[in-house]
Parts: sequence; structure tokens; C-alpha cells
Amino acid sequence: MSKHTREKAQSRNEAFSKKVATRIWKENPCDDNPYITESALCHGYDLYELMEKCSFSDMFYLLFKGELPKPCESKLLETLMIALINPGPRHPATRAAMNAGIGKTMPVHILPIAMSILGGDYLGGGEIEPAMRFLRKQQKNDPALVAKTLLDDYDNGNSIAPGFGKRFGGIDVMSQHIIERLLLLSGNKPSLEWGQQFATALHSNSMGWLTTGVAAAVFCDLGFQPKAGGVLFQLLSAPGLVAHGLELNNKPITAMPYISDEDYVIEK
Amino acid sequence: MLSKSNLEEIQALDKNRNIIRSKTGGWRVGEGVYSHGYSMLDELVGKKSYFQIMILNATGKLVERNLADWIEAIYGCLSWPDPRIWCNQIGALAGESKTTAAAATTAGILAADSKMYGSYPVIEGATFIQSALKQFNNGLSVKDIIDNNIKSNRGKLKIMGYARPIANGDERIEAMERVTQELGFDKGSHLTLAYEIEEEIKQRFNDGMNINGYVTAFLSDHKFSAHEAYQLFSTLVASGVTACYLETLHKPSDSFLPLRCDDIEYNGVEPRSIE
Repeated sequence: MSKHTREKAQSRNEAFSKKVATRIWKENPCDDNPYITESALCHGYDLYELMEKCSFSDMFYLLFKGELPKPCESKLLETLMIALINPGPRHPATRAAMNAGIGKTMPVHILPIAMSILGGDYLGGGEIEPAMRFLRKQQKNDPALVAKTLLDDYDNGNSIAPGFGKRFGGIDVMSQHIIERLLLLSGNKPSLEWGQQFATALHSNSMGWLTTGVAAAVFCDLGFQPKAGGVLFQLLSAPGLVAHGLELNNKPITAMPYISDEDYVIEK
Repeated sequence: MLSKSNLEEIQALDKNRNIIRSKTGGWRVGEGVYSHGYSMLDELVGKKSYFQIMILNATGKLVERNLADWIEAIYGCLSWPDPRIWCNQIGALAGESKTTAAAATTAGILAADSKMYGSYPVIEGATFIQSALKQFNNGLSVKDIIDNNIKSNRGKLKIMGYARPIANGDERIEAMERVTQELGFDKGSHLTLAYEIEEEIKQRFNDGMNINGYVTAFLSDHKFSAHEAYQLFSTLVASGVTACYLETLHKPSDSFLPLRCDDIEYNGVEPRSIE
């Protein structure tokens, strides 16, 4: 094999920042030790004041958006947080958490394990950004017409558009019920409203909102950026995943089904 | 509300309840363990190298020992104990936080599932060279391939596998060229083209191939698809991360790059009160 001449690698001497910068958080040092924090600001608000005057969902919104929410935004986010708090014991991410739990994995590992699975493109965080981009792009179009166009091209599979489709062969009924409740809240909700018309146009084909679409629509209406959507979805669903994992952590391995050899078929 | 479900789809789901059908393999208690048709304990363990078994599990292909050794050598090229590299610094911070070694290492592995470095760009690198060879065989010149890339990237050359953050040039290629020769491999059509592309880029942009470009071209010559190539490297950075973790684990807490409050530059809004 012929030898290729190769020059020695050289540093590009890129100008790296001397300090990391943040718009989110400022820690004020105490007078006698520059490493110890005396107080902290979140987007300009004193943490101690936030502790006294804000709800957790207000604080969550402030952290990611840089401003405190209006009452209607706060209510919409908090309602979504409750709706998404547990993907349920059949979701793959929850099942991963349960496997970690029953396998006596250290409890502090349950969350990162489950979060990795909840980052997937199916029913997970990976579907939120495309769903938010779909909703933002299509909102100017007639939802019934968009549905018709997509249905004309639909072959098979669970998804007709990011965040919309079917589960187990039918409409994901609970997502539709969640949307109905979110739509009753006050405030401007263009993505939820457009999505509802779009989902309704899909119903006759056994499709509609998926949980990921619901989350994406609310994130759009609250003004979150699509890139943040997947991570926000993971955060909102984290408590339920961990709860299920912890529930099994002290139980014997026999507390979960183990597929018998007869039901484990190795196909050639 | 009804779900308007299709009964046949429910029946199809029911067929998979409480049963696993695997084309990959599995364990039969008292009988053996199988992977892609091989009895692991009879035909693989002690007879094939760990990397041959790993590659079998990652791609379904049982490769020759020299190819497995070549892939193992790449792991050595991409797992450095330098905590300035992003995934490794995560390992170091894990040591600082006194996590377990597994938590530290998996966190670093996940970090290298990045669009900029580590394992994930293998998909883009392999996709590029496989597509470039098709174009080349259809009559496009190396110059055309590069010009087309520049056109599709708003006037900027952006090919995965060429150029590299932090440094210009890649000393790992030289090491791997030596390994390639020692293990008796010839240069295939993908690698030949990769060198020609590098030559053109060197002349026009004073930049070269990086290890991704070399590895993806070599593996493409050995019939790995882009995704198979990526699957070979999911734990690529692991040992370097572990090394960086151990360094800080055994040092006092708060001693790895300690930050004063004002070492973080705050450029947000001025202090304000809740109205």
C-alpha cells in the first residue's frame, strides 16, 4: 500500500473564551470567600424572592424563557405538567425505569436510564422538535386540507405527521381528552386550536393527537423554541418514570414477568 | 370517545403479548447462548476475539480477526485520557461528583453521541464517502464533488471526515495507516477516493482528512453501511472517559478546575423585583 505523506498536526490556536457566560443565573459571592454563594439571581430575580412569591411552574417558565409567565401562561404550563407527569407504566421509558428498579440498579441511575429512552423519536423527546416545526409551519394552512394531503400520501405506520397518528391501531383517546381540557383554559392558543382541527380531520382514519403532539402544541403556544422541546418533554415526564422505577426497587425480581424459555423463540 | 381502532391491528398486537421472537439470539437455560446463529460458548468464547463478538452483536457479521483487530485499534485512537475533550471532561466532573465509574463512563459515551465529534458523525462520514464514490463512478471529478458540497453549504466546504476542531491535521491517521499495513489490508476504492479528496482539499483549503474520513472510507471498503459503521462505535470513547473519571475521583472534592462566583460571566438582565 502506498505511503501518504502527512504533516504533523498543529493547533488551530482558536480564540476560546476566558470565561463561560450565562444570561440565566448570577451567583453573588459572600464577602469573605469568592467561591461561596451568598445569593443568586435567575434572569435578574432574587432566588429568595422567587421562593416566596412564585409557583414551581412559574419558576420553570422563567428559567427557560427569561421572563415570568402571565397567569394564563402559568396555568397552561402547570396543567400540561400535570398531564405529562407520568407517561404510564406501559411507555417504553417507564418500562426501562421499572427494569432498572427491579434489577436493583442504584436508584440514582433510574432517572438517566429512563431519560435516555424518553429521548427517542417514537413517543419521546426526539419527536417534539419536528412536531413543533410542523405546527409552526402548517398553522397558516387549512388544517383539513393539510390532513387530506397527508392522508392521500399515507401508506401505513403509526405517524401521519410528527406528534399526530395512532396508537395500537386507533386514536389515542386520552390525548384527545387532555387537549379538550387544555383548550378550555384562557389565553391565546393558536397551535392547540389548529392542531385540534387537524386531529379532528384525522379521526375518521383512526388517528389524532399523540402525547408528543400535545406537548409540542403547548410548547409552541408558550413560545418555547423547538430545540428545547424534546428536553422539556423529558423533564415534564421524569417524575412518573422515576416513581415507577422506585416502586419496584425494593421488590424481588419475581415481581415482574420474565418471559419463559417456551415463549422466547429464536428464529432462524 | 371511541378510538375507532382496526380490529386486525389489535389482533396482531395480541400475537406478540408475552412472547419474544428474536432473529438475533438469546439464552436457553441449560442449553446454550446464541448470537446470529452461533453458539456463543461453543463457537465464539475463547475462539474469537472480544471485538469479533462485539462486531457480530453490533452488525450481525462475524468478521475475520484482522478486521476486528483493526476496529479495536480505532478504539485506541479515540479514547484519550485528556479531560479537556468534552466527553472526557464529563468523566472528570463525574469523578469530582463522586459518581460510580459506570455512571461516569456512560455519561461520557452519551456526550460523544454528538453532531460534532465522537461516534455519531460516523454516519455522516460514511454516507458522504459512499455517495461520493457513486458520483465519482458516474463521472464526476473530485473537484466536482467538492464544488457541489460547497454549493450546497452556502459557499463553505463542509464534509464530515475532513478538517477537525482544535487542530489542523490528524496524527491518528498515520497510526492507523501503519495498522492497516501491518494487518495486511489493501486500499479499496473508497479509501483511494478519500485520499484524492484530501489532496484536493489540502491544495485549495490547506486542510486534511480526519480520522472519521479515514475510518469511514476503510469500513465502506469492507462493506459496512453507514449505520453499521456507527453501531460499531457506540462505546468508542469509553476508556478515556473512565481514565479521566478516575483522575478526579481520587482527588479532593472541588479541586477540578474550581470556579469562583465571578469566573462565570453573567450577561443577563439587571437585578429586578417581582411586581
